[in-house]
Amino acid sequence: MFFDSDLLMSALRALTPILLAALGGALCERAGVFNIGLEGMMLMGCFTSVATSWFTGSAWLGVLAAALAAAAYSLILAVGAVTLRGDAVVLGIAMNLLAVGLTSFLLRTVFGVQGTFDDPSLAGLPLIGGFTPLAYLAFVAVAVAAVMLSRSVWGLRLRGVGEAPDAAATLGVSPAKYKYAAVLISGVLCGLAGAQLALGNVTLFSENMTAGRGWIAVVAVMLGRAAPVGVLLAALLFGLAEAAGFRLQGVGLPQQATDAAPYVVTLVALFLSTARRRRRTANSPSGATT
Amino acid sequence: MTPQPVDPAVELRGITKRFPGTLANDSVDLTVQRGEIHALMGENGAGKSTLMSILYGMERADAGSIRIDGREVTFGDPSAAMAAGLGMVHQSFKLFDSLTVAENVVYAAEPRRFGLVDRAAARRRVRELAEEHGLAVDPDARVGELPVGLRQRVEILKLLHRGARTLILDEPTAVLTPAEADALFAVLKSLAAQGRTVILVTHKLREVLEGSDNVTVLRDGRVVARLVTAETSADEIAAAMTGRAVELDRVHAPGTPGDVVLDVRDLTTDAVHDVGITVHAGEIVGIAGVAGNGQSELIEALAGLRPVASGQVSLKGRDITHASATERRAQGLAYVPEDRHAVGTAPAASVAENLAMGHHRTSLSSKGLLPPASVRAHAGRLIERFGIKAANPEVPASALSGGNLQKLLIGRELAHEAPLLLVEQPTRGVDIGAIQNIHDQIVAYRDAGHAVLLVSAELSEIRGLADRVLVMYEGRVTATYTKDEADERALGLAMAGGAVAPTEAVD
Amino acid sequence: MTHTHIPRISGVLRSPITFSVLAGLVIGALFLVGTGADPLTAYSAVLTGSLGADGIGSTLSTGTSVLGMALALAIPLRAGLINLGGDGQMVLGGITAAVTGLYSPLPAPLTVVLALLAGMAVGAAYAALAALCENRLGVPLLVSSLLLSYPAVSLASYLARYPLKEPGSSLPQTRAMPDGVALPAFGDSTVTIGLILVVLAAAAYWFTDKRTAFGYEIRMTGLNSRFAAYAGVERRGLTLKLMSVSGALAGLVGAIGVLSFPYRFVDGSLTAPGYTWTGLTAALLAAAAPLGTVIASFFFAVLAVGGLAMERTTEVPRELTQVLQAIVIVFLAARLRFPSGWFRRRPQENPQESPQEIGAV
Repeated sequence: MFFDSDLLMSALRALTPILLAALGGALCERAGVFNIGLEGMMLMGCFTSVATSWFTGSAWLGVLAAALAAAAYSLILAVGAVTLRGDAVVLGIAMNLLAVGLTSFLLRTVFGVQGTFDDPSLAGLPLIGGFTPLAYLAFVAVAVAAVMLSRSVWGLRLRGVGEAPDAAATLGVSPAKYKYAAVLISGVLCGLAGAQLALGNVTLFSENMTAGRGWIAVVAVMLGRAAPVGVLLAALLFGLAEAAGFRLQGVGLPQQATDAAPYVVTLVALFLSTARRRRRTANSPSGATT
Repeated sequence: MTPQPVDPAVELRGITKRFPGTLANDSVDLTVQRGEIHALMGENGAGKSTLMSILYGMERADAGSIRIDGREVTFGDPSAAMAAGLGMVHQSFKLFDSLTVAENVVYAAEPRRFGLVDRAAARRRVRELAEEHGLAVDPDARVGELPVGLRQRVEILKLLHRGARTLILDEPTAVLTPAEADALFAVLKSLAAQGRTVILVTHKLREVLEGSDNVTVLRDGRVVARLVTAETSADEIAAAMTGRAVELDRVHAPGTPGDVVLDVRDLTTDAVHDVGITVHAGEIVGIAGVAGNGQSELIEALAGLRPVASGQVSLKGRDITHASATERRAQGLAYVPEDRHAVGTAPAASVAENLAMGHHRTSLSSKGLLPPASVRAHAGRLIERFGIKAANPEVPASALSGGNLQKLLIGRELAHEAPLLLVEQPTRGVDIGAIQNIHDQIVAYRDAGHAVLLVSAELSEIRGLADRVLVMYEGRVTATYTKDEADERALGLAMAGGAVAPTEAVD
Repeated sequence: MTHTHIPRISGVLRSPITFSVLAGLVIGALFLVGTGADPLTAYSAVLTGSLGADGIGSTLSTGTSVLGMALALAIPLRAGLINLGGDGQMVLGGITAAVTGLYSPLPAPLTVVLALLAGMAVGAAYAALAALCENRLGVPLLVSSLLLSYPAVSLASYLARYPLKEPGSSLPQTRAMPDGVALPAFGDSTVTIGLILVVLAAAAYWFTDKRTAFGYEIRMTGLNSRFAAYAGVERRGLTLKLMSVSGALAGLVGAIGVLSFPYRFVDGSLTAPGYTWTGLTAALLAAAAPLGTVIASFFFAVLAVGGLAMERTTEVPRELTQVLQAIVIVFLAARLRFPSGWFRRRPQENPQESPQEIGAV
């Protein structure tokens, strides 16, 4: 049987890093910051978690360090786009490039290897029922983010800031404060996503190991309309595509076909979602008249 | 009026504010008593907005003092002003479209329960305030889906929720029909009767005379008159505002219409229904109406920037209903859009490059080549002809003042010598000197035998320029007047929907 | 005389580009000190290694690819469009050129021309597909171009590893091109006439940008797309045209790669050096201006090739040059610059900096 609990399990494993990163992206989106630096923040998390785990022997310290390092890294976006009003798209691209360069550079200077660092004694995260604690945390984070965004005072103000910063400012709410908070939280979540990738189901660091997952998270934010539950569903879709890809590899399809699967599924999902949205707006009556 | 309390609600003394090149406020004194509706009047650029920005903590005065209820204060930002009991409804509303009415009202002053927003309490609060002040609105409606009049209510509710004792309203009726404006004034009067204070920033005589207790008039940054409304007249206020006898209502001589240039039949597009218009050569047709009644959509459809759902548009006898913007321009259409920064120019590009747009495929180029020298020469000609003040043609357009940027835009479009000119809000936010210049240019263009379709929210502009006036209401042309018939009362009634058949009456 | 030049010179010094490049070099020096190397030795190794007699050939052949990709990305960027699918377009161009080279029945010189054209055509078509995704399906170009890139890379990889794989080889590569199916090289260097082709493309871009109505429309769209649309510039058509040109150039880079040493398609060899990202960096640094793009490309080619020399002499990993590149763009995007007092004698009205509307997706 093709669809079975194993497939679902491996889909859930595949979705965890994407979900964590996409939740961060969704918060930024809600606060009015277009964050396409998720990939780079995640990669910083990957490297930091492996390096810290290696030198301290504790995977948990690795997770903590990854969260802190990625949050610190996310300050580039916060300062650049919010305080200095730079272009968030260019900043995000630059952050992704910088992360690839920086982690490759550090891989060689710190570990003296090129390409991949793995060692049997590198401490990874424990598995509980086949999943890392971070995987469970990701689902808790969806619920927390959903409640915070829709019901809390903080969430209301954040949504207002994202939609009309000047309106928020006239009411004494500082848009910059909320944007910074959103970006920093996305940094923490991306750091966790990176730790999950590097210390979760495999324990290693390799150059550019995020391999586009941060970009998929960006798309998940779009698909899920920046709502936590929507983002969860979008991430699940990619998780399934990736898991199905592995499964197809088992039945003899070349690896390249299955590598491409998540991207193709993503693109098709985007087509469908935008087509549906456009049809809906085309049918709605114009709001210009009373 | 309520009995006079000891201390005025708001007292400004000697407020002075200088911007590079202008003295926006020149030791302005303004005293507003508690419980009154005080009108602050003046033309564009007279310094009203600056004064209110200073009062509300958005700008800092170079000199002067502010007293609220007798206590001297300094506001670093609007929230400090709000804490002192002030509240402002900005001309462009500061609302969150995707949030509900209740969420908008309580934003940043939320009732809480266990750290979460107490939504039930927020709804209750909106209902209470609405009932108390006659500002009925559904607390659960999305603000983005409300008509303008109701959005304004949300703005006022926001201030009342915060306990504002003094309300500042900046040009509150600019987007309202006369009927909605009347409703607003009823609300303001009842607020004043309860002892709240209202400062009304406006340049409309009618509402000042009908709605206010006292008037302060600003001109060129100085107070030129302090009047008691009941003892003054429209002429006296207007004379104080302009510094001369009501010259703004100058009416240009009518043109002599020739052949039909633009013929629009049963045009329907977004927010526009079955509109028919003809404009002749040598004629200015004005479209009056409260903003948001389909004028912008109509002009965009005529300019080829919005698809036409049904109907027919012809230009000099040729069908252009489905032609692209470029094809229309080639057929003889020029267009001055409403938003000169976002649509009409590229502020970061040079003056010369801005002046080349639209000419770059026609007179300035051959075989697709666009020599920089011809762009420069073209810019030099237009700068001279239209008196655009720019250091040189290579400076970015963003370095020009509002009036000069508008001259650039109008000059560029007039230079096409197109048989048809579409022009929207040609003098919005432009100083008085430039207004005169722009009006003269448009009239001269008509007199040269061109057709002009003018959209303006300024009735005086429409009445001064147009040979015929159409009124748009809810996407339809509901009335047509000749120059002589188009008096303020008739236009005002039609703009409010008064000319519509009774079956379509609202409410 | 000198007086009139002062504002101009101070303008150049104060420009965010100068600041970004200098800041990048300073931070790079800090990294070097951190790893125990002498920055001066390292930077001079970069220069001698890339511009010296031993390195210049390598710099020019790397520069060919970097400039090609930089142009490919600069041209849409000039209109505010970001093509993130350069890798896919380049690789498809490369694999198409390889297939053409291997199977064309024409004489070798004609086959070379055909392979170049075929590579460009496929690159163009694939980039156009991304444009259609935005125009017709409403998927932002930034995302559609990037997402399309991955399947293209996978497809080329599959072709090189299975149907087109060189029999008997352990490497994932196609057979070598037949004799004579190669771009003529200068002397015995690795620099081919591919460099001339790319420089010609840069010249054509310069001419279009400065001297044609089309170039004017592209620039105005980049500065304010609503303004351009208002005056009749049709955005969808422009997006399609610019993306096609962009993809054609990326395809050309791929084809040049296959028709130069080692004269075959090797899986990963086109994407691994990161030409696409280096090219994008160069285009961003130059704000897509034609001449600036050429200069920035050369600068980054020097860094990339010199980085290897630096690694040899100082043992500092060459990845440092990649870090440097990215830092330059971070500073640039944040619009950092030297404080206004530094290079100015008296205060003057500073006209608003041209804000790029790159972010408008």
